[in-house]
Amino acid sequence: MSYMLPHLENGWQVDQAILAEEDRVVVVRFGHDWDPTCMQMDETLFKIAPKVKNFAVVYLVDITKVPDFNKMYELYDPCTAMFFFRNKHIMVDLGTGNNNKINWAVTDGQELIDIIETVYRGARKGRGLVISPKDYSTKYKY
Amino acid sequence: MATTIPGSLVNKTKKFFMGMPAPSGYVPGVGRGATGFTTRSDIGPARDPTEMPEAGPVGPTAPGGAPPAKRAKEDDDREAEEMNEANYDEFAGYSGSLFSKDPYDQEDEDADRIYNEVDDRLDERHRERREKKYKELVEKYHKERPKIQQEFSDLKRQLAEVTDDEWQSIPEVGDMRNKAKRNARAEKFTPVPDSVIAMNMNYGSMNTSIDVNSGMSTPFNSGSGILTPGWKTGIQTGTSSSIDLDLVKIGQARNKIMDIKLNQVSDSVTGQTVVDPKGYLTDLQSMIPQHGGDINDVKKARMLLKSVRETNPRHPPAWIASAGLEEAVGKIQTARNLIMEGCEKNKGSEELWLAAIRMHPPELGKSIVANAVRSCPHSVRLWVKASDLESDLKDKKKVLRKALEQIPSSVLLWKAAVELEEPEEARILLTRAVECCRTSTEMWLALARLETYENARKVLNKAREHIPTDRQIWLSAARLEETRGQKDMVDRIVAKALSSLKANQVEVNRDQWLKDAIDAEQAKCPLTCQAIIKNVISLGVEDEDKKTTWLEDAECFEKQNAFACSRAVFSIALSEMPRKKSVWEAAIAFEREHGTIEEHEQILIKATEVVPEVEVYWLMLAKLRFVNKRIDDARNTLKDAFEKHNHQSETIWLAATKIEIETDQFETARTLYAKARSKASSARVWMKNARFEWCLGNLKEAREIIEKAIELYDDYPKMYLVLGQILEQMGDSQAAKNAYTQGIRKCPGVIPLWILLVRLEESNGQIVKARVDLEKARLRNPKNEDLWLESVRFENRVGCPEMAKERMSRALQECDGSGPHGRRAKSIDALKKCEHNPHVLIAAARLFWSERKIKKSREWFLRAVNLDPDNGDAFANYLAFEQIHGKEEDRQKVINKCVLSEPKHGYLWAPIAKDVKNWRKSMEEILLMVAAKITIPT
Repeated sequence: MSYMLPHLENGWQVDQAILAEEDRVVVVRFGHDWDPTCMQMDETLFKIAPKVKNFAVVYLVDITKVPDFNKMYELYDPCTAMFFFRNKHIMVDLGTGNNNKINWAVTDGQELIDIIETVYRGARKGRGLVISPKDYSTKYKY
Repeated sequence: MATTIPGSLVNKTKKFFMGMPAPSGYVPGVGRGATGFTTRSDIGPARDPTEMPEAGPVGPTAPGGAPPAKRAKEDDDREAEEMNEANYDEFAGYSGSLFSKDPYDQEDEDADRIYNEVDDRLDERHRERREKKYKELVEKYHKERPKIQQEFSDLKRQLAEVTDDEWQSIPEVGDMRNKAKRNARAEKFTPVPDSVIAMNMNYGSMNTSIDVNSGMSTPFNSGSGILTPGWKTGIQTGTSSSIDLDLVKIGQARNKIMDIKLNQVSDSVTGQTVVDPKGYLTDLQSMIPQHGGDINDVKKARMLLKSVRETNPRHPPAWIASAGLEEAVGKIQTARNLIMEGCEKNKGSEELWLAAIRMHPPELGKSIVANAVRSCPHSVRLWVKASDLESDLKDKKKVLRKALEQIPSSVLLWKAAVELEEPEEARILLTRAVECCRTSTEMWLALARLETYENARKVLNKAREHIPTDRQIWLSAARLEETRGQKDMVDRIVAKALSSLKANQVEVNRDQWLKDAIDAEQAKCPLTCQAIIKNVISLGVEDEDKKTTWLEDAECFEKQNAFACSRAVFSIALSEMPRKKSVWEAAIAFEREHGTIEEHEQILIKATEVVPEVEVYWLMLAKLRFVNKRIDDARNTLKDAFEKHNHQSETIWLAATKIEIETDQFETARTLYAKARSKASSARVWMKNARFEWCLGNLKEAREIIEKAIELYDDYPKMYLVLGQILEQMGDSQAAKNAYTQGIRKCPGVIPLWILLVRLEESNGQIVKARVDLEKARLRNPKNEDLWLESVRFENRVGCPEMAKERMSRALQECDGSGPHGRRAKSIDALKKCEHNPHVLIAAARLFWSERKIKKSREWFLRAVNLDPDNGDAFANYLAFEQIHGKEEDRQKVINKCVLSEPKHGYLWAPIAKDVKNWRKSMEEILLMVAAKITIPT
């Protein structure tokens, strides 16, 4: 579904995309369109994009074409989603230990909507770190 | 936030940055002031995977030993710089190494090692002191600038005491900026004022424009009049610039033209205006503001109307328009004044008076209307208005009388007057009215309606004289005659009407006349309608189209519930074309649907009289009489049929015997059968005869007859069925079996024979034989659902459920799309595959029944009954269902429907209906019996 979502082609565009939104959360997915994990994530993102369009906007970035952020944001996972609000990186306590980003594919659209909404609400209040409505720590898996 | 570009300033749907290249030298991330993070401090920050590793390992053992030397060579020119004054130090000399050119050999290495060891040793001596010093420094630093976290730790501890409610009640930050700032407005474009454009133009053309006059007077142009370039350009630039330039002047000119026109209009002394006042008025009409529009428009319109009024005060529309304008603006008093002034000046204008009356309240209106009728007494509309204004009936009458004195020829006034009167008065008025306006059909008809018969006739005759072209008068005359009972006159009048209308060159419109016929029927004058149809029906219809047109007409009448009309059409059609079967059929069908029994019988009798050779009509007649319990009549009909008209077909014979049987005249029936056998010998007659005997219990005779019949007609399968069953009943199972096998040999495709044979064998205990026979039957008749069903049931009966199941699955495979197997469990599946099988529908309905879904179940039963009205099981099931869940009328409905459709088949139905014991039971009784047998599904 990646072809249905807007891609950012260079670092400047990424920066402008983050700067241009005044009242919406910017969700940036870093990864590769061909990556299976990214494909799953893109599917979910495409599904929810129209639903969250009032408070969030979704962009895709190819980390091979745009390697500028790889070091800065530690982009070594196959798929990474990050949230920005008014040029501020919003951290999410997902229970995984890494609050900076979602580095797996969320397949449930509603879960992702909930996370983005939490990010939006928190960010509007001026918080830099919000707590995800669902705990994704592995302790529940085992 | 570095440089935020408000998204709302540009196109909202497409971001400005999409597809744009990055500016050169842009450093992503840093450009917007972003900083990275380190998630795992133990691993450290991420490394750029694309970054090349730093220059190769530095160490004393460079591979090959060559590179240092080479490097030195590369840096040849740099070396010179290192030797300059700037690099000179008093203590260490030149900072560069003097020997960097030389290869790094063993000796050098040793020297370096020794120096390093010395350094380490020196360092060791001071380490302890140095470390202590460093620690102190750090502590001091922390004390000076503690971390924010640590600084407020004591305050933070108090946060633990804050309750949830207090957390919740912390107010939201919210966006406090005002809306205008948050959403920057999109760019707005304002047209540039004309003055700016004009100024700019002047500025640009300053150099090129030359005054025409001055150009002419230049010495270039002396005497000869040659067109010098100078003055040519002068003219050209002059004209062109004047076209472009004078935007202001154009506006001024327009104003001036308007002024001139207005002056022309208002100043014209002679009254002969140059401008067409009517055109002006229509313009102004459209200019009158409807909802208090521009005040300037009103002013302008007022001025123009004033000028029109003054130039031509004899023009009523101008006055009306002016008053209308004032009224629309809300100045009613001005409007009234104006219109009254107009009335003064144009006394003869009906329009003006009417407008004046409209604008005034009723009390004033009365006096105005009095003036009005005085000044123009011949205006019907004014008189009507006057009578409208009167509230009292008496006054109204008075006004109308006065009006009629003035204008005796107005139909409108007469009508208004007559409407107000009592019948007797009205009659007198109408007599006067028809004298005054002789050409009004309505008046004549109204008068005729009010008069007595004799007078009405006279009136109508007179009316005809005056208006010879109207058919309504003729038709009402015909109706009058009919209501008076003068039946013979009706037809004559209609015929005369047609001829006289034709003589007066009135085109006779057939459709209109037919409509009149329907009207006549609705007015309860069937004779008139018949007469009309009789005279008109063949008008303008070609001979070859007659039949279809007439049948269509009849159908059309039937649809409009004009039964007398369609009956008349049929009678004419039948008298014209007595040999047409379709006409007869249509007429009989019509009577059956809409006529009484007598009418139905009448038409059938007529049919038998006119076309006695068609036996169907005889049968229909006999059946009708028989059904209505007139047995003798029915018998006579049939006797007539085969004696007088020599109908010797089996159906007539069988009908006759049926009547005898129904009336318990068995002896007569027997003789009739004998006659039938000899005169119209056919398999069916023989079979019926045998069955008759069988039913009466005369098994021996029945057997004889059937055996004789088999000799004659050995390929009629039912014979064997009957014979076998008779023999079975007589207890001679061997003979019965023989009969079945004989039958099977003759006609192997007849399933009931097989089934009966199998059942016979089964009842005799020869189960294996029966099974073999079934197998054989299936082999001979593949893909037959009945046979498969029989096999399944057979296995169930003899107690082999496994076999039955196996048969069932095979059956389902073989006859996919057949109904009865799939019954309960698979009914949904079955429904999908064969929607149109009544068995499946019944099964589905029973399924719903068992689930107590009454409504749905009823729906499915109805569907089943409608789909196959020949299936008795459906009716029986339906009735059983209604007996439990339905009301009395529901039950009656089912029974009626069943009796109407006379079902013949069905697994449960057939055995009971065909049982010899029940041979004379009516449909209803059989239905009740079958319904009693139905089990309630659970």
